[in-house]
Amino acid sequence: MTENTTPSQIGSVLVVGAGVAGIQASLDMANAGYYVHLVDNSPSVGGLMAQLDKTFPTNDCAMCIISPFLVEVGRHLNINIIPNSEVESLEGNAGAFRATVRNDPRYIDMEKCTACGQCRQVCPVTAINEFDCGLDLRRATYIKYPQAVPLAYTIDRSICIGCGLCEKACLAEAITYSDSPRRTTLDVGAVVLAMGNEVFDPSGLTPYAYTRHPNIVTSLEFERILSASGPYKGHLMRPYDRETPSKIAWLQCVGSRDIKPSGHRYCSSVCCMYSIKQSIIAMEHAETPLETAIFYMDMRTYGKDFDKYQVRAGDEKGVRFVRARVHTIEPVENGDLKLRIVQESGNMTEEVFNMVVLACSLNPSSQAVLLANRLGIDLNAHSYAKTSDFNPVTTSRDGVYVCGSFQGPKDIPQSVMEASAAASGATQLLSAVRWSQTKIRDLPPETDFSGQDPRIGVFVCNCGINIGGVADVPAVREYARTLPHVVHVEDNLFTCSQDTQEKMKQVIVEHAINRVVVASCSPRTHEPLFQETIREAGLNKYLFEMANIRDQNTWVHMKTPEKATAKAKDLVRMAVAKAAYVEPLPQVILGVTHAVLVVGGGVAGMEAALGVARQGYQAFLVERSNRLGGVARQLQHTWQGQSVPAYLDQLIADVNNHDRIDVFLETDVVHVTGTIGNFVTTLRLQNHSEQPRIIEHGAAILATGGKEYQPTEYLHGKHPAILTHLEMDAALAGQTTEFRNAQVAVFIQCVGSRTPDRPYCSRVCCTHSLKTALHLRSLNAGMKIFILYRDIRSYGLREDMYHQAREAGIQFIRFDTDNPPELFLTPDPDAGFGKLNLRITDHILNRPIEMNPDLVILASAILPNENKKLFEAFKVPTNADGFLVEAHAKLRPVDFASEGLFLAGLAHSPKSIDESIAQARAAVSRTMAIVSREGILVGSVIASINPERCAVCLTCVRTCPYGIPRIDPEKGHAVIEAAECHGCGVCVSECPGKAITLKHFTDEQINAKTHALFCA
Amino acid sequence: MIVADRKPLNEILDMVKRCNRILVVGCKGCVTVCNVGGLKEVQILATSLKIARKIGGFPLVVDEMVLERQCDTEYIAIIKETVTDYDAVVSMACGVGPQFLSEAYPEQKFYPAVNTTFFGGAVSHGIWEERCAGCGTCVIHYFDGLCPVARCSKSLLNGPCGGSDHGKCEISREVDCIWDKIVRKKVEQGRLDDLLDVVPAKNWQSARDGGPRRSRREELIQNG
Repeated sequence: MTENTTPSQIGSVLVVGAGVAGIQASLDMANAGYYVHLVDNSPSVGGLMAQLDKTFPTNDCAMCIISPFLVEVGRHLNINIIPNSEVESLEGNAGAFRATVRNDPRYIDMEKCTACGQCRQVCPVTAINEFDCGLDLRRATYIKYPQAVPLAYTIDRSICIGCGLCEKACLAEAITYSDSPRRTTLDVGAVVLAMGNEVFDPSGLTPYAYTRHPNIVTSLEFERILSASGPYKGHLMRPYDRETPSKIAWLQCVGSRDIKPSGHRYCSSVCCMYSIKQSIIAMEHAETPLETAIFYMDMRTYGKDFDKYQVRAGDEKGVRFVRARVHTIEPVENGDLKLRIVQESGNMTEEVFNMVVLACSLNPSSQAVLLANRLGIDLNAHSYAKTSDFNPVTTSRDGVYVCGSFQGPKDIPQSVMEASAAASGATQLLSAVRWSQTKIRDLPPETDFSGQDPRIGVFVCNCGINIGGVADVPAVREYARTLPHVVHVEDNLFTCSQDTQEKMKQVIVEHAINRVVVASCSPRTHEPLFQETIREAGLNKYLFEMANIRDQNTWVHMKTPEKATAKAKDLVRMAVAKAAYVEPLPQVILGVTHAVLVVGGGVAGMEAALGVARQGYQAFLVERSNRLGGVARQLQHTWQGQSVPAYLDQLIADVNNHDRIDVFLETDVVHVTGTIGNFVTTLRLQNHSEQPRIIEHGAAILATGGKEYQPTEYLHGKHPAILTHLEMDAALAGQTTEFRNAQVAVFIQCVGSRTPDRPYCSRVCCTHSLKTALHLRSLNAGMKIFILYRDIRSYGLREDMYHQAREAGIQFIRFDTDNPPELFLTPDPDAGFGKLNLRITDHILNRPIEMNPDLVILASAILPNENKKLFEAFKVPTNADGFLVEAHAKLRPVDFASEGLFLAGLAHSPKSIDESIAQARAAVSRTMAIVSREGILVGSVIASINPERCAVCLTCVRTCPYGIPRIDPEKGHAVIEAAECHGCGVCVSECPGKAITLKHFTDEQINAKTHALFCA
Repeated sequence: MIVADRKPLNEILDMVKRCNRILVVGCKGCVTVCNVGGLKEVQILATSLKIARKIGGFPLVVDEMVLERQCDTEYIAIIKETVTDYDAVVSMACGVGPQFLSEAYPEQKFYPAVNTTFFGGAVSHGIWEERCAGCGTCVIHYFDGLCPVARCSKSLLNGPCGGSDHGKCEISREVDCIWDKIVRKKVEQGRLDDLLDVVPAKNWQSARDGGPRRSRREELIQNG
């Protein structure tokens, strides 16, 4: 990675794959000054996440949380979505690539298509709906799902009979049967690969009878079954007879952790959690009591808050967890399925279920592998992009980065983090050409209408025949003419079409219109477009109101056109009534301080500071101890065997030598004020030898780290042969050779983790034990090595190590919490500290066994560092375990809810060094959207307080989901910073004194609307 | 603060059943803070009354306003000009409000829209708990900041009684035994011996038992 620039660098980036990772990477880069080409081979963006029903561990609706991202990426001025396309080749080098892209035809012109859906209505061809996993049907002309971006139809020519009906029906004249594949070239400075994964096809696993019975479904099929927009509209039914099942089984590791050639050896990382989630959601969807059972090998709930989720599922929801690999699924009568299960005891049992879900593995698609080969990217043994632990998103080809599940199977938050990290890599490479390819919208100044009466223009849309074919649009238009303040009315075939938009701008000027009402489809998809249009005509974008007379009217009242016309009039009357009261909401530009404060001088903090500096901005790195390095100083190797000390030395040197990094050792953050873009932080040296230092910065990254738990269990500290992982690492790094002679070494897992006090998994300890065990084996082939565990959580490709360990003869003994291993010390005159005696019940023999270990390694928990005062200064929350809480567990894993603050590393949750590095680089990318700008826009739809009405009751402070309102003791009333308010309106609706108003949703405006509905 | 609960709508409807025109008047004091009688609640009640009466075919005109406090005559004077325009006035203040209003405007009828419940605070948003019984002679210092008068079901000064059950009071699993808390706190602070001292019987004359109470602050009383 060089900071030197070559003049030939290009400030645009190619992102391949438009799933959640590709979208995040695109948004990060486009918001930080780069033009992004986002290529996907599907007709729309969204990837696998768009198909999911809910997401773990928050049970948020997947579509609800991803669709704002879809809309943002779809409308971004600096993101060019290129759907239906494949990258064929990539010439050139880092900084200046030329990509050749094959654009497959969609036979419908995206520019002209208004997504009215008429083509689909008339299409006579029925096809299998792949989005619903074949559980439903679609037409040959289709859109993947209603929220799809780009919102345009496509024709599946593989089944189209060419009847021409859609061409006749399309009033927008968007059908282009003659379309043929084209090739385009894109000049880009860097490439981010985010091709994602596909779900394993279990057809080849004969004992699971997937192809022989409709009630055996894959996990993705079950997501669609649960989805409210899926084939059964969210009603829990089994495919065979559409009956509500009363008993469902989930079989884990289908295609995962499978050494047969038909499956994958690795663990797919996400299936344990999604099966638990599906079992809980299925119970919620079932109208009758539902019994659920999950058959698993190891329960791998290793992520943040995952273990609690599993415990709740078992204890509160009654999900039955059965540790068994199911042998065979045998269809029996009535559509039911008999499972043959080998119990842990070795007994074979049988149990009948109404339905079986196969928790199928993830794997890179064959297309993605071919693409990687075309681009010259090295893949690992499992066909995932090859990366290293210290550069987890860097591929073998310079200037090409990778993120998400194409790098290895992983969940959404990890994918999102890597996406931002990959964005950081690409933009660091191209930091000299930031803002060189981006577009700026040239807008006329806003006209000042203050003091003028409303002059409302009403545009009623026919939406082809979507609206006009049901409601009497001319009648609605003429009705609008009679409403107060209306000075112009018209109806259009498609109000959203390019030519109508141009016409609208002229009409606004001609008639001196100062408020615009469009009666058409849905604000969800079209409000921003119309707002942009009126803005181009000099109107503030809030001088706009929309009446949804399609989605909420003609689509639902198709059979009663007269009532639909009456309702359209009602809706238009309401919109006009509100429009008369809407006011311009000008946004103010606040300048930004182009610097980032990083708190914590461990790996995450240093990576973050170095990242910021290499992006070209000032970084302040604050560390409370007297040296950089953090807990990584005690680590020797990454899980893939790379040397941590060598990496750390280089990193510390790079940080110390970089002229855009100021390092403050033995320094505390004592005070923080300001908001996004402009924070002012006071630092104080611990010895008070200098005056406090005041730092100004636009954003901050908290990377305050964690530490190893010092066990009180298992005689730790009472015998020199009982060591924690970090102590063992230090011993192995030392010159001592005594470990080589140990006859028996025992690892005890979950020491201090997954306990009532610390109900979380520390994520890295299983891998750490496997690594150390293999190391010991390499030192002494005769050593007996035991790993005593509850679940082996070698998630993802780490499963290879578990496999190696078993092949190397390391023995694994499982224990339950009610029967943990016991370690005793017996005095021994020959050995100074006494002899160790360990007792455990073997889970297979089901009888106690005893051993005399010469070495006991405790896989001790990871604890967050305590930083109460610091966290209070930044007003950032911690969870019950002391880890920092991110803005959203799924899609904002690096952000705090407070704007401008970010987090990385162990302070967020236990993680391995590669994951900390990825998160730190992700945090850098997130700060770039702030500090790389000249200013940020604040204002518009935000809450504002009328101090006279404020009773300082704290209701707003207590109810704001983002923690923004505070009581200002000097002013004597609540204060909401405009730059921080998200405009959600919660405080407004809760305030008992009605002291808070949400702009654009004022009582006056809403009352006008309801009054127009009920009292007109 | 004084904590109150809104009365059920039907009860209020019954009070104003013969009225054609009423005023709903809120208070910006305690009842705003406990989310029961501020402007928002005034508007909700006014609208609910109007809707209910409209459905019943006997429409009601309802005006809304909020006073700074209903326990000060100066603020009450604000409605002097308009108070007789109504058939009745519904107060959303604590029990003090309708009485101060009645005393100021003897010709008008005043109805309470809330049940005044206790002196307490919000333990979290939406949950208020009693903390003070207004007994007139504070004894909290004996109990390290915990008041058995308000928080023990029997107001025991030398507890706990036999009804203390794993930290809960025998009257309900929802009610903490304050004596359990007092004892635990004394243990934590290493001062359990304090409880060997018997707290003498309390003189309840300063509480309600002495009849209606009045507080005179001679230094504040203006002559003439």
